[in-house]
Amino acid sequence: MSAAPRPAAPLLAVRGLAVTYAGSGGGVPAVRGVSLDLAPGETLGLAGESGCGKSTLAGAILRLLPRGTAVTGEVLLDGEDVLAMRPGRLRAVRWTEASIVLQGALHSLNPVQRIGAQIVEAIELHEPRLGRGAVRARVAELLELVGIPADRASDYPHRLSGGQRQRVLIALALACRPRLLIADEPTTALDVMVQAQVLRLLARLQEELGLAVLFVTHDLSTLAAVCRRIAVMYAGRIVEEGPSDEVFRAPAHPYTRALAAAFPVIGDPAFRRHPSGLPGDPPDPRELPSGCPFHPRCPLAQPECPDVDVRLRPAGAGRAAACVLVEPA
Amino acid sequence: MTPLLELRGVEVGFPVRGGRVARAVDGVDLTVEPGEVLALVGESGCGKTTLARTIVGLERPDAGEVRFEGEPVARRGGALRAFRRRVQMVFQDPAGALNPRQTIYEAVAEGLRIQKTPGNEEELVAQALSRAGLRPPERFFRLYPYEISGGQRQRVVIAGAMAVGPSLLVADEPVSSLDASVRGEILELMLGLVRETGVSILVVTHDLGLAWNVADRVAVMYLGRIVEIGTTEELLGDPKHPYTAALLSVVPEAGGREPLILSGETPDPTRIPSGCRFHPRCPLYASGEAARLGIEERCRGEDPALAPARGGPQLAACHATALTEAAA
Repeated sequence: MSAAPRPAAPLLAVRGLAVTYAGSGGGVPAVRGVSLDLAPGETLGLAGESGCGKSTLAGAILRLLPRGTAVTGEVLLDGEDVLAMRPGRLRAVRWTEASIVLQGALHSLNPVQRIGAQIVEAIELHEPRLGRGAVRARVAELLELVGIPADRASDYPHRLSGGQRQRVLIALALACRPRLLIADEPTTALDVMVQAQVLRLLARLQEELGLAVLFVTHDLSTLAAVCRRIAVMYAGRIVEEGPSDEVFRAPAHPYTRALAAAFPVIGDPAFRRHPSGLPGDPPDPRELPSGCPFHPRCPLAQPECPDVDVRLRPAGAGRAAACVLVEPA
Repeated sequence: MTPLLELRGVEVGFPVRGGRVARAVDGVDLTVEPGEVLALVGESGCGKTTLARTIVGLERPDAGEVRFEGEPVARRGGALRAFRRRVQMVFQDPAGALNPRQTIYEAVAEGLRIQKTPGNEEELVAQALSRAGLRPPERFFRLYPYEISGGQRQRVVIAGAMAVGPSLLVADEPVSSLDASVRGEILELMLGLVRETGVSILVVTHDLGLAWNVADRVAVMYLGRIVEIGTTEELLGDPKHPYTAALLSVVPEAGGREPLILSGETPDPTRIPSGCRFHPRCPLYASGEAARLGIEERCRGEDPALAPARGGPQLAACHATALTEAAA
C-alpha cells in the first residue's frame, strides 16, 4: 500500500498557493501556502472543518473566487498555469480540462430550464461544431452514465429528488469530458443511502473514464472509503498527507488523530459511550494563533509550539505531517 | 417501573395539495425510561422530527396517545405548564435557536421566567451555564450569541433547556450543524447531564455513529413507523431488519461490511406502499429470498408489526425476521 512512485507528470500540480480574501480591516488569509499533486486517474481527498480553506483551494484551482481576492503561487493543469491564463483560454479549460461539482445540489440547477437543455447548453458552448443529433446522443449517454433514464431529459429540476439532482450536476460536469473533476462536498446534503449511491457512482466514473478526482469534504470517514490519498487541512495549510487508510487508521498529526476519532467506529468498544472531541473551535482565519495554529487545541502541545511555524515534514513512506512531534523517518 | 414517556399508536398526518395526507408518523409505539438515552434514527422524511415535535407537544397526534410519567399529556392549564417544564427540546441549529439580540444571560433566564421556576434567577442561570461547561458563568452573562463559537452556542441552548429542571430532553440533530472536532464535546456534555441529573434524552439523528457514541437503545424509523428497536449493542451489532442492515452497511465507520446500497429514495409519505412499507426497496424481497421463505404474499399484503426477531432480543417489523426457527 505504501510508496508507489509518484508519476512524473501530474495532471494537477498546485505550488505554494496562497489565497487572501479582501476584507474590511485587512485581508483574510484563507489558504496560506499549499502544494499538492494529482496524477491522471488518481483520487485525492481534501479534508478539513469549516474555515480551513478547503473550498477556497478548490475554487482557486479554476479561478472561481470573488474579484479582489489575492491569489499567488501556481496551479499547473497539465503543465499550464491556470492563474496566468487569459480569459478565453480559461473558459476553454473549464469544463473541457477540469470541472467542478459544488455542494448544494438543490440550488445549482436552473429551475426553469429542462435538465437536458442545461446539459446541451454546456456542450454547445464548448463544442459549437457538434451536430444537433450528436449533442442529443451525448446528453442521453451522460444521463445514462449517472444512472438517470435518458427520457428524464425533458424534466425540470423540481421533478427530481435531491439525489437525482446531484447526479444531473455530475453529468453536467462531465459534459465536455474533463480529465479532472473537483467535487466539493458533493454528498453533504444527501441522506446516507443516497450519499452511498452517489459515492459509488463517482467511484465507477473515476474508474471507467480514468478521471482524476479531487474530493473536498469535512467527512474524513467518507474520504477514507473513496480516496487513495488524503490531505488534511487546518487553518489554511495542509497539516497531514498520505495514503488514506494509513492517515485514517494511524494519523501522524494530533489534529488528524482528533478528527478521525470524531467519527466513531460502530462496534468498536473504544467509542462506546465515549464521544471524542477537541476543546474550542477551528480558528477564525482573521485571528490565527501564533506558531502552530493548532497549538491552543492540541492535547500534545509542547512549550515551543506557540513560537514554531512548523511545516510539513516527512512522516514515513509517502506521508508527511506538520508537527514538531513528528520525527523524520 | 412506569416509563417516563410512553407512546401508543401515535399517528400524525399533514394534508397536502390534492387532498392527500402525508402520514408522517403512522402508528408509533415507543417508551423512554428514566435516565435513558434513546436514539431515534432515520433518513430525512422518515417522520423522526415530526415524532419529536409531537412528544414535546408542538404537534397534536391525530390518533393514539402520548403519556408522560403515566398520565396523558395535558392540553391546557397548570398541568400543561408543568409538562412543558418537564420536557425540553434542543433544536438542530443553535444559531437559529438563540435570539441574536438577547444576551446569553437573557437566553437562559427567559425559560426560567416563562416556567416561573422558583429560586434566585441569577444563581440558577449561573448554575445552568456552569453545568453546561461555560465556566466561569459570569463571563458569559453579557455576551451575545455572535460573540461565542458554534459549540458554545449549543451549550447555551442546552443550558437554557436544563435550567428549568426537565426530566426529558428531546434533542433533534443536536450536533449536526457543528464541526466534527466540536461534536464530541457536546455529546460528552449530554452524557454528563444524564449521569449527574438523571435526565432522559431522546436524541433524533440520522447518524448511527452518534447512536453508538451515546445511546442506550436505538429505534430505527422508516416511512413513519419504527421498524426495529433494541439496545444499541444488539441493534448495531447484529441488525435484524433489512433496512437497518442496509443503513449500517453504508456507514463508512461500520468498516468491513459489504455495502448494501438500496436503490431509489424513501417513498412519498402520501403513498405508503401496501403490506410491508419497505418491500418495494427490500433486498430480501428483490433477491427472491422472501419468495424462497414463502412470505412474498405477506410482504405485499400484510403490514408487519414489531415482533421479537429471530436470533436476537430486539424487535423488528419484518415478516422474514419474525419467522420462528421451526417455520424457517
